[in-house]
Amino acid sequence: MLQGYGPIIVEGAWLTLTLALCSMALAILLGLTGAALRLSPLRWLANLGDAYATLIRGIPDLVLILLIFYGGQDLVNRIAPSLGYTAYIDINPFVAGVFTMGFIFGAYLSETFRGAFMAIAKGQAEAGAAYGMSGAQVFLRILVPQMIRFAIPGFTNNWLVLTKATALISVVGLQDMMFKAKNAADATREPFTFYLAVAGLYLLLTSVSLLLLRAVEKRYSVGVRTAEI
Amino acid sequence: MNKIALFGALALSTFGTFAVAAEPALRIGIEAAYPPFAFKTADGKIAGFDYDIGNELCAQMQVKCQWVEQEFDGLIPSLKVRKVDAVLSSMSITEDRLKSVDFSKKYYHTPGKLVMKEGSQIQDPGVDLKGKKVAVQRASTYDRYASAELTPAGVNVVRYGSNNEAFLDLLAGRVDAVLADVVNIDEGFLKTDGGKGFALVGPDFNDPRYFGRGAGIAVRKGDAATAEKLNAAIDAIRSNGKYAEVQAKYFDYDIYGQ
Repeated sequence: MLQGYGPIIVEGAWLTLTLALCSMALAILLGLTGAALRLSPLRWLANLGDAYATLIRGIPDLVLILLIFYGGQDLVNRIAPSLGYTAYIDINPFVAGVFTMGFIFGAYLSETFRGAFMAIAKGQAEAGAAYGMSGAQVFLRILVPQMIRFAIPGFTNNWLVLTKATALISVVGLQDMMFKAKNAADATREPFTFYLAVAGLYLLLTSVSLLLLRAVEKRYSVGVRTAEI
Repeated sequence: MNKIALFGALALSTFGTFAVAAEPALRIGIEAAYPPFAFKTADGKIAGFDYDIGNELCAQMQVKCQWVEQEFDGLIPSLKVRKVDAVLSSMSITEDRLKSVDFSKKYYHTPGKLVMKEGSQIQDPGVDLKGKKVAVQRASTYDRYASAELTPAGVNVVRYGSNNEAFLDLLAGRVDAVLADVVNIDEGFLKTDGGKGFALVGPDFNDPRYFGRGAGIAVRKGDAATAEKLNAAIDAIRSNGKYAEVQAKYFDYDIYGQ
């Protein structure tokens, strides 16, 4: 299949999926932190969260990738010797990719999560407190499950965009499926075959994600009646 | 004074030992997207003229080499931030690039060639092509050469947007010859079905005023040690026949030039 280039493209697809999942895990962490900061009653914390979201959402992904991969390496090269490390420390493309994607989509998710938390009626948290729950218990047992329901549509969007944006990381030499497809296209001089094949793989990946996320949405909407017209 | 000298000697020896003790692999950057110089095989391995030459050079220098794949645009930045120690990826030695990196001597310099109907005889292009139509790619180095050297000699220079269009018109008989890079002619025309009955003719075109200095191995600015080792290794494989062996794998003509 695909003039023998099929297996290496599938290998690349696996890397794409790993990259997307790792980036998303980091993005969720940063998104929750960002949302918490922005909802904080302390003015300077809220400003910090706003600054993160504004800054990152305002810079093109490609620029950030190049900045972190090359600029970050330059920074490490300059700082490491002054801390006593003489050996060369390499930022590899995968790490650079996870950090960049996680950082970018953390900013978008902070917006999604913030909106979702704000959509929960105030009385919910107050009721939890009235039952004697601690702040952490209220957060984990009452706010987070309801927040997830509100956040899923926005989250789904972000996940789809992130999955496709991983293709950008191939510019720094990460051998994801886009990179492998380009290799095959250059070697065989048949770009359409291979770009169509990866287009199909991206579509497969996003379609399966949609199905899974729809199931998650259903699970977290248990007990909520939707209007039927 | 003594103290300073002692300190200097100490520093030098520490540094020296460190460099020897570490014996790091030479990391070479390459873009595997330029067949037959560098490309990926179906099992995901790098192959091509650049790759084989690099491995021969490493064997000659007796160092371990590690290939790092990168997009072409990213090769020089990677070199500058020390992600790689050398770039061996069909990179032409140009004045612009020399501002930010240094180069070894050239490891190949494909000449320009004329492609014409088989059996055509061209000794001196300026004389034998008089009145003939010669196609070149517009704004290429060949266009610059033809405009400056062939037009005054009475050659009718015809310009095309791409070499492929020029080859099509050569097939159709609208031009008598195409002047282009020899690898481009071979891969893009002679090896295709349409290339039957045509051949490379005449002398090599390799005037450095027009066609530059060939492809070299880029190293970090000021890294004379690596550049000199590479130069010595290039000379060595040129004279011990390894270069010719690799060249014969990919080309049936000389690509080193003079």
